[in-house]
Order: sequence, then structure tokens, then C-alpha cells
Amino acid sequence: MGILPDEIKPAMQGVIPSHVVTCSRDGTPNASAISQVYYVDPDHVALSHQFFNKTKRNIEENPHAVVWLISPETFDAWDLELEFVRSETTGPVFDVMEMQIEAIASMVGMKGIFKLRAADIFRVTAVRKAVGERIPLAEIPRPR
Amino acid sequence: MIPDRVAEVLQGSAWLQIGSRDEALRPAHTVAVGAVMHDDRRTVTVFVPTARSGRVLRDLTANGRIALGVGLASHEAYQLKGTYVSSRPTDEADRARQEAYRTALYAAALEAGYPEAIARPFILGVAYTPGVAITFRAEEVFLQTPGPGAGTLLS
Repeated sequence: MGILPDEIKPAMQGVIPSHVVTCSRDGTPNASAISQVYYVDPDHVALSHQFFNKTKRNIEENPHAVVWLISPETFDAWDLELEFVRSETTGPVFDVMEMQIEAIASMVGMKGIFKLRAADIFRVTAVRKAVGERIPLAEIPRPR
Repeated sequence: MIPDRVAEVLQGSAWLQIGSRDEALRPAHTVAVGAVMHDDRRTVTVFVPTARSGRVLRDLTANGRIALGVGLASHEAYQLKGTYVSSRPTDEADRARQEAYRTALYAAALEAGYPEAIARPFILGVAYTPGVAITFRAEEVFLQTPGPGAGTLLS
């Protein structure tokens, strides 16, 4: 049995964008949206590396990251604490993520811009449901 | 100095994400529900649900380093990086700003194509009150829209 509960899987469908925070060696945090958090196995996720951006540079300097994601079914939000393991540029995880990135790019009009360079594999070191962040579904107000 | 367009997006219908880190350089994430730029165009106050404020306030009081990701549904995005100034509980004026922000964000999500069944619980379901107003001084502003210009220092 791994660290990721089954109930978190819908939050990794990419329906609602996820967010990742990293930190450079000099201690500057970086907050960014991320196209895809991919469920690899009960202890690992993969993040899509599409650009040579600050997130990627930070991970090379400091392996720690945190991802926030939310289920489009229950609207539970989660924080995952991650530690970078390796980048994959071939193989089954890369192939599936590449296909999904192309689908996302087509849907959001970013074809040619969203392109998977690598599947960055992270070990999940902690999982926390964001208790208190959400109003219970039955109590959410109707818009005026 | 925060550029005009960034100020417009920051105080409009953008998703707002705060990044902080602890002394071991372990990062943390916090959602923000609304933001306001001060008259000096360098100081920004963001509103954070109290339930999500514990870790970020510990980090900010310890080392002061903060990042604020600002992104529209169109993928136009910016990032402000700066130094923590202060925090206080949100007041009535803050909550009025937050309610306007939630309304604008909800409308933007519907316009971007999110079905009501997702947009309403996702956006209006954030427990934004009680809240904490966190003020920081923005020292760098970066373009973060995906594409060749991402990472460009704007100010």
C-alpha cells in the first residue's frame, strides 16, 4: 500500500489546473500552474516538463516541490510534498503524458506551444487533504 | 513598479497562488482569494483563507520570501516575487473586495468554458472567510505566459 489514496486520482485528470511551488538554491520560491500531474504508482507522480522554465531550474537545484490539486468530483483539495527522482524522455509514462498534453493543447488553443520535453518523476513524501479550505458542497452559495 | 497590465490582471479575475518556503528550502503552496495593489504600485495585499494561512505565515515571518502566481484562464500569466511586510485579519472592506473577486472569477470561468457544475463548487466553494490579509513588497515581476517569452523580467 502506497502513500497516495485512490480518492486522489480524479484530481489528476487535468480537469482543473494544478499548481506547483518550487524553491531555488538561494531560497526564492516559485509558484506556477502545471498542465498535468500524472499518477505513476501509489508512491510516485510525474509532472509535465514542457519548458526550460524556473520550475525546472529550481528542481535541478533543490529536489523539493509541493503540488496543490483539486478533485473535479468531490472538490477536495490536496497538497502533495514531492522529491524529484528522475526525468524520463521515453517509455510508457512519457508516451501517455505526451498524448495527454497534445490533447490538452488542442483543447486550450496552445498546440505548438505545449510540448512535452520530459516526464519528471517525483516520489511523494507527504499527502494532506486541505482541511478547512473548502466550503461543504451543500453550503456553497448560489451566484447572485 | 508593477506594470499596468499586470496590475489589471492581478486585481481582476486571475487565479492567485502563493509560494513560500521554510528554512530547509521546502516549498509550500497557499491559495489566495483576491488581491489589491497599493498606491505605490509596489506593495500588494493578498487575502488568504485562515485555514490555509498557518504554514505561509510561519514561512514569511521566518524568512520573508514570497512568490505570487497570477494567471488568467486564457493562460496569460505573471509572477510577482518579493518580501513580506505584514499580516492582519481581513476586515469588511477586504471581504467586499473578495466577494467582487469571486464573482468576477466565477464569470471568467464560465466564459472560459467551465461548466457551471464545476465552476460553482470550485470557485465559490473556497472558504475565504475568516481570512488573513498578507502584505508584501513586489521586487520583481515576471511574464509567465507559456511560450518563448516566459520568464522575462518585466519590472
